Amino acid sequence: MANNRCSVLVCQGTGCVSGGSEHIYNALKDELESSGHDEGISVKRTGCHGFCQQGPMIVVEPRGVFYTKVKTDDVPDIIKSVLPGGKSLDRLFYRDPVSEKAVTHYHDIPFYIKQERTILKYCGYIDPEEINDYTEIGGYAALRKAITWMTPEGVITEVKNSGIRGLGGAGFPAGRKWESCRNAPGDVKYVVCNADEGDPGAFQDRSVMEGNPHSVIEGMIIAAYAIGADKGFIYVRAEYPLAVNRLKTAIEQARQEGLLGDNILDSDFSFDMEIFQGAGAFVCGESTALVRSIEGKRGMPKAMPRPRTTEEGLWNKPTLLNNVKTFANIPLIITNGAGWFARRGTEKSKGTAVFSLTGKVVNCGLIEVPMGATLRKIIYDIGGGIPGGKSLKAVQTGGPSGGCLPAEMIDIPVDFDSLAEAGSIMGSGGLVVMDEGTCMVDVARYFLDFNRRESCGQCIPCRLGTRQMFEILDDITKGKGRPGDIDLLDRLSKSIKRSSICGLGKTAPNPVITTLRYFRDEYDAHIRDMRCPAGVCSMK
Amino acid sequence: MEELVELTIDGKEIEVPAGMNLIDAAERAGIHIPNLCYLKGMKGIGACRLCLVEIQGLKAPVIACNTKVKDGMIVNTKTDKVQEVRKFVIDLILSMHPLDCMTCTKAGKCNLQKYAYDFELKESSFTRKKFGYPTDAANPFIMRDPDYCILCGRCARVCNEQGTNVLEFMGRGVDSRVITANDKPLQESGCTFCGSCVDACPVNALLESDRLRKGREWDYKEINSVCLLCGNGCDITVSTKDGVIRKINAGAEAGSAEKYICAYGRFGFDCIEAETRLTVPMKRVNGELKDTDWQDALAIVSEKLKQAGKEAGFISVAGIGNEDALTLKKLARDVVRTKNFDTTLSLYADSESLRNSQAANIDNADLILLVGLDPSQWKRVLPALDAAVRRRAGRGAKLIVVNSSETKIEEAATISLKGDEISILESIAKALTEKGIKADRRLVSSVKNAGITEPVEKAADLISGARSPLIFSSPALFNASANIALLKGKVISVGLESNARGIALMGLTTEGKTYREMINSRMKVLYAVGEVPMVKRPDADFLIVQNSHMTELAKQADVVLPSATFLESAGTMVDYMGRMKYLPKVIEPQGESKSHREIFTGISKLMGTPLKKVTEAEVGKAAKVKTKPAFSSFVKQEGLDVSPQELIESVNASVINGSRLLWLKETEKAIAV
Ligand SMILES: Cc1cc2nc3c(=O)[nH]c(=O)nc-3n(C[C@H](O)[C@H](O)[C@H](O)COP(=O)(O)O)c2cc1C
Ligand code: SF4
Ligand code: SF4
Ligand code: SF4
Ligand code: SF4
Ligand code: SF4
Ligand code: FES
Ligand code: FES
Repeated sequence: MANNRCSVLVCQGTGCVSGGSEHIYNALKDELESSGHDEGISVKRTGCHGFCQQGPMIVVEPRGVFYTKVKTDDVPDIIKSVLPGGKSLDRLFYRDPVSEKAVTHYHDIPFYIKQERTILKYCGYIDPEEINDYTEIGGYAALRKAITWMTPEGVITEVKNSGIRGLGGAGFPAGRKWESCRNAPGDVKYVVCNADEGDPGAFQDRSVMEGNPHSVIEGMIIAAYAIGADKGFIYVRAEYPLAVNRLKTAIEQARQEGLLGDNILDSDFSFDMEIFQGAGAFVCGESTALVRSIEGKRGMPKAMPRPRTTEEGLWNKPTLLNNVKTFANIPLIITNGAGWFARRGTEKSKGTAVFSLTGKVVNCGLIEVPMGATLRKIIYDIGGGIPGGKSLKAVQTGGPSGGCLPAEMIDIPVDFDSLAEAGSIMGSGGLVVMDEGTCMVDVARYFLDFNRRESCGQCIPCRLGTRQMFEILDDITKGKGRPGDIDLLDRLSKSIKRSSICGLGKTAPNPVITTLRYFRDEYDAHIRDMRCPAGVCSMK
Repeated sequence: MEELVELTIDGKEIEVPAGMNLIDAAERAGIHIPNLCYLKGMKGIGACRLCLVEIQGLKAPVIACNTKVKDGMIVNTKTDKVQEVRKFVIDLILSMHPLDCMTCTKAGKCNLQKYAYDFELKESSFTRKKFGYPTDAANPFIMRDPDYCILCGRCARVCNEQGTNVLEFMGRGVDSRVITANDKPLQESGCTFCGSCVDACPVNALLESDRLRKGREWDYKEINSVCLLCGNGCDITVSTKDGVIRKINAGAEAGSAEKYICAYGRFGFDCIEAETRLTVPMKRVNGELKDTDWQDALAIVSEKLKQAGKEAGFISVAGIGNEDALTLKKLARDVVRTKNFDTTLSLYADSESLRNSQAANIDNADLILLVGLDPSQWKRVLPALDAAVRRRAGRGAKLIVVNSSETKIEEAATISLKGDEISILESIAKALTEKGIKADRRLVSSVKNAGITEPVEKAADLISGARSPLIFSSPALFNASANIALLKGKVISVGLESNARGIALMGLTTEGKTYREMINSRMKVLYAVGEVPMVKRPDADFLIVQNSHMTELAKQADVVLPSATFLESAGTMVDYMGRMKYLPKVIEPQGESKSHREIFTGISKLMGTPLKKVTEAEVGKAAKVKTKPAFSSFVKQEGLDVSPQELIESVNASVINGSRLLWLKETEKAIAV
């Protein structure tokens, strides 16, 4: 990069690719080459910038000129603009949705300014298919440091001290999990990365894998070193072909560089990994179902009491299972130290949280904020508020098994414990903003529909109970609600939560529980007055 | 000694073996913890949530089917909290259940019905829906009606554990189902129609096809007995109504599918009333078989036997009971005074191997060594052994298969050693002695030239490391296998017919001419007992056939005597594991048929030396052999190489051809081509 006068970074995340950014990339390369201007100008692929609604997206470095909604037809003009004497293209600038003013630089866009992009920092900046890009930004230095200077116990201590909690939803302290896996007896151990990401609308894990696959791989290798594993799996849902390809390329490159395989970095530590493509069931993200699925069995969770996965996981061997983002944080923790990591976040939730911000909000996209940021900051400062002058009604966090929080709670800090206290969960990191035009009964019905379909069918409360809940909600939204329905929903929710085998069933009623708690009047209006206050349900 | 733990369940203090789960422990205290997905013997999976109980000190209820007892545990099985969950679960099940108890065949035995009754749930308090799946009634054995299915998974677990792998879960949420691969009918899915899944199903989703309106559980009389159709001698439970057999199940404890029976044992009983069933004695008059009465038939038979004397010969199958065998031996030796008596046993075993076979319980084995055996549920060669071995292997026992040919069971093996069995056994013996296991000097020197390959070394490692290895051997290789057992473990000789071991113990074994010799030499009188595997009349002057069914051979006989089937006469047998088992008379014999020994005694009376009834003590004494395991050289017994499948099929030809099993035979043939 050093000799380059400038780099044109073309986003090649799933969002921009579906907008045609592959053609743009190719056209840029071809035209530069055929016009003989390619000296000093490089064209690079990058991962997702998180602002896909503005894609296809191009950033021209070093100044960070930011072009949005680029088309192939714009290519000649873009080339002209980067030649000596060229001027930036006004028509492709991002426009502030409120002031309509053009924002010329990436770093000046509120959507980005207010974030603290940490694991997403290099997504959109480096070429995910080039290991050198990753090493140039300090990649694999953490692995080198761990293997050369740290004992496995030292690595675990660092992870423990950082206070990092698993980012797959449950927020279990990662260091403790690593330690118990290290201490579990057995010579064969596994490291597994959970990249099932089954929540509809969530794409944080996908973006990390597409934009910075080496960070995940490096995290996994460090974990393997720490717990004493020699084999790893990345469980990616099959609907993520781009992520799979990028990971494949990255794994191959890491092998060639001696970062995977026998005697990593000439030490006596050996580790290799492979990708396992899941069948795309939401429940396969649950740890025991995921393990069974890799073993070639049907992905069904195991009932408690059962041994922990860290003691008996894959093929009954001790197994460390963490989420994509948990692993992506590890190199940063090792390089910068536990203290650096723990500076951000709240007392009990350290570091950052990544959300897929969607729904009725001006700026949809992937965002990263410190743990404990308020919903207000996320929705208004980063998200740019509610479009069309409407008012905020509720926020759903944690995906289909999360809860709906009312607008009044907009100042609660977003971290594992505050959300749980409010009746919701961090979950997968989905964050759906709802405006006044949203019917909360309909929302509950929508999520219950998802949950009942995704139930693995193994246990009766979840399999049959979610169906009953759905039918009742469906009836209510069709004007066929009956007086005792709310009590029935309440009873079903409690019983399903209490008696289901796994997290899916235990959290499936959450959308109903929270909407009943915070929006009870809407249910009453539907049932008693046969009226949908938001005017969404047809009530026939 | 079993370690015991003390705990309190619903205020009752009890003592049970460590490692037991709470459902079983509670049962010992007479407390029933509701359950629908638990199968005694298998690990609980927690699907139905009915067995949730509260344990003092634990915040959340736990499932009793997968929670082990602990010393000092205080368990409450009926707190409001868990009762509420139970009621909720039953209520939910009923929301998608046909609620057909008034006409349902499973009524009375069904725990779902019981729990609905206990919770006073007349119907579901939720909205009801029917699945509306089609029933699979495309075979004459098992009817699958998924509308009743509660998805407890018991059928699939049993089928998979025994290695047949026909049933699996498909779909998600309410659309989950238990189906066959690609949803094909059972007969196209590798199903052997063993019916284990029927025994496992707690509701009416899996049912014997012929049971509609043939009576319900409370109408039945349940009688425990033993199947005598093949060398496994499985425990069975026969249900009768109005003196007719309505169904046969595996003879396991209620709520358990720990025992296996095959399609022969479960569904072969219709042959009792087959058209070919013999109900009156027959004699040849002017070249044609004509009905006659017992007096006439036995008079002819005794006269002929008297004339033939020591030139008379008796051949029998080894699937007759001990009492029949002893009586037959006495008839031959003491009344007719001939040494020519023998059974089909001599076609596949020398009787010494069976007399020296040890007693064991497969459930205690942590290593199984199969020598020269090719059990197969699919070919129905010792299918119960195949199932039991696979189940043990699935639960962690090591399996070593030693065979000179391909076997299907080796797919479940930890180590499969292919090649000449004797050489392999020699090298295993050598490897074991080299591990320092003390051995007879002759043994050591007889294997000193054996080579040890890596797999053999591994096998020897496993054997020497095992707590209680169990060797199942084909009779021809018994001596060599027994040499291994001298070093470690126990050895069982596995005969092909149910009472092979009993026959050997009763001494109905070669003294004069062998079975083969009697067929091939011209006997004055040849008396065939049971369904001997023969279709062409041997070159005997006078042929008597005593069997329950008309066979090809019987059609060529001079006198045909109708005998009772094993379900129609009482007696004992000794199974391959060395257990003496009692068979009660389950139903009355058809027509005028009589038990073998009644016929023999009748003849003895007419011949002037009436035989006394064989007593229990007599059988017991004969069965008690003191054998001292000793070294004998590593050789294979020659001349014992009948095809197991052919032999088993031919001694059961009438059962197969006279029942629904004929459909199975033809369907399997059609699918094979
Ligand atoms: C129904 C269900 C779905 C889940 N899906 C995911 C998933 O897609 N990705 C994930 O990382 N964790 C998922 N989890 C959480 C995992 O069980 C597990 O806690 C997590 O992968 C551990 O990683 P962490 O400690 O890094 O968070 C799911 C849990 C449940 C109950
Ligand atoms: S709670 Fe739902 S998803 Fe989980 S095991 Fe039970 S049926 Fe399957
Ligand atoms: S299966 Fe049981 S509950 Fe269902 S209809 Fe039959 S008897 Fe009744
Ligand atoms: S009959 Fe036997 S093989 Fe067939 S499905 Fe049932 S258990 Fe499996
Ligand atoms: S068919 Fe019977 S045994 Fe099988 S899952 Fe359904 S209810 Fe359970
Ligand atoms: S395996 Fe043999 S003894 Fe057992 S049921 Fe089948 S035929 Fe009868
Ligand atoms: S894919 Fe390009 S910004 Fe997300
Ligand atoms: S019997 Fe324990 S959960 Fe079904």
